[in-house]
Amino acid sequence: MKKLTLVMAIILAVALLTGTAFAAQMENGVLRAGAGAGAGYKILLLQQHRNNAFQNGVYDAAVAAAEELGCDLTILSSDSDAATQIGQIEQAIGEYDAILFEPVNPDALGAASKEAADAGVVVINIISACTDWESYGIAALSCGDNVTAGETEMQNVADLLGGKGKIAILTGPSGDSGGLQRLEGYTNILANYPEIEQVVEPADCGWDTASAQTTVESWLSAYELDAIVCENDGMAIGAGNAAGANSGIIITGVDGTPDGFEAIKDGRVTGTVSQNGGEMAANGLNAAVLLLKGETLESNTLITTNTWIDANNLADYE
Amino acid sequence: MENKKKASSFISEYFIFFIFIAIVVILTIMKPSFISPRNLGNILKQASINGILAFGMMFVIISGGFDMSVGSTLAFAGILAAMLGKGQVPLILPLIISMFAGLCVGILNGVGISVGNLPAFIMTLGTQTGIRGLALLICGGNPVTGLSEGYRNLAAGTILGIPTLAVFWIVVAAICSFVATKTVYGRRVFACGGNIQAARVAGINTNFIRISTFAIAGLLAGLSGFLMTSRVTIGQPTAGESYEMDAITACVVGGVSMSGGVGKPWGVIVGTLLITIIANGLDILGVSAYWQKIVKGLIIVVAVLIDVKGKSKKD
Repeated sequence: MKKLTLVMAIILAVALLTGTAFAAQMENGVLRAGAGAGAGYKILLLQQHRNNAFQNGVYDAAVAAAEELGCDLTILSSDSDAATQIGQIEQAIGEYDAILFEPVNPDALGAASKEAADAGVVVINIISACTDWESYGIAALSCGDNVTAGETEMQNVADLLGGKGKIAILTGPSGDSGGLQRLEGYTNILANYPEIEQVVEPADCGWDTASAQTTVESWLSAYELDAIVCENDGMAIGAGNAAGANSGIIITGVDGTPDGFEAIKDGRVTGTVSQNGGEMAANGLNAAVLLLKGETLESNTLITTNTWIDANNLADYE
Repeated sequence: MENKKKASSFISEYFIFFIFIAIVVILTIMKPSFISPRNLGNILKQASINGILAFGMMFVIISGGFDMSVGSTLAFAGILAAMLGKGQVPLILPLIISMFAGLCVGILNGVGISVGNLPAFIMTLGTQTGIRGLALLICGGNPVTGLSEGYRNLAAGTILGIPTLAVFWIVVAAICSFVATKTVYGRRVFACGGNIQAARVAGINTNFIRISTFAIAGLLAGLSGFLMTSRVTIGQPTAGESYEMDAITACVVGGVSMSGGVGKPWGVIVGTLLITIIANGLDILGVSAYWQKIVKGLIIVVAVLIDVKGKSKKD
């Protein structure tokens, strides 16, 4: 038995070592480039997580922007855990000239940001805003506007319906700040269209395709729906699968990810609002380099515009 | 007197089934479209994947174990199936590969637990995290798109009017019920969970039995991954999160004891259907998301509570 334990321990150790070596080889996106406006600056970018196409888009765009600027960029994932992210920010003080981060939680990162800013690091908040971000020494905010994204989506739905019809809404996890902001956008538009009726309460499908598919299947056996408005593309795909291609039901999402595009192409999903996450990261990097060079920003809030993408203009974005 | 006793023991034996019928009746009265043929088809489709996972979980729990990794295994197998399911090879190959991948994870779990003597919770929590990472690694975090027409239509189709997904579930249920109740192997699984020392003394190779139950759970998680990818028409590395909890819930609601050695296949079927109709019914009634969570939690606890009370009275 002891021998066996020893063998298992050795196997485990070897597996761990090779795994780490492998991981180090393709390390979390450390990029070293020479010339460019940002040459010599060390910048850290913290992503909320890296489990979906939107986050991969952010990653790719940040790498491209860093190459252009010539700065030394490290990208880490905070694995959707606020404590991890706080630790990453604390460790980065003294190591990096600038930190860009997408907050895991809008209220949890204030103190860590302030600590970094007080230590002379340029701190930039990207993708979704921290509450009262300016009061924590955060130098700039580069984000989209979830309320506007929600408004853009619902406005397109209202136009397609001709201002009248029965709709249902699928939301992200209950209490998610981005989701609540999109919902606020929906509500703002719906206020102008008294003849658009929500026949069921919004359902929480936690950004998940399978869960959205199940909910919409159930709904369609009990309700006549003219439109299903989803807070992301993943859930729109699930709704599209439940309704079938070219069902006549308007199904929309937010994100503009490749899987969403595929569903628009084959008629399961009507359209999506692109949040241009890559642009948010690139703008943030540019702002960081400008500030490090001692220049000032025209505005410390950089808002990326939303784009409505449907079958008509899909080819421009793929 | 004798008859009365018989009747009451019959009722307590099948109590969960009566609760199931009662909920069906209540939901039908509240919303008649609940029992429309279309919705019955929905319920079968929605129950199938969890139903298949629950049968794997049933073997593990009866033998005295616990598997937290089936959701991650489902995602990993689903990604493999999606990568191979773009029409480059016949569909049978991704099916076999995804089941084989699940089997490997299951055997790894089983060996760690029975030979390495790790607590089942720790071992499968480790594979839950590790295999999820592997799923993300092989697809680079991106959903895998571009599945072949045939693969995409598989889960949406029907065979003799029954959703294909449900046909898979029925086949799995039939095989698992037979193995659990009619074979020597099945009796040994129960014996392991009832009292592992006694089983060992009786000459049962308990290591083999325990490894094999995890292997079954892994194999079925692999099959579920293959089916899930077809159902959602994309391979998602984040699929199946917390599905192990749904499978465990289906087992426990269906009368499988968490301490091992006790459980009936038909109970697992009723348990799976029960949690599916609750979710389906609440969706159809248009109950708000917050209330759905509260009601689901309450119904699970109350259903098991009534069942347990009923049984203890009998004793």
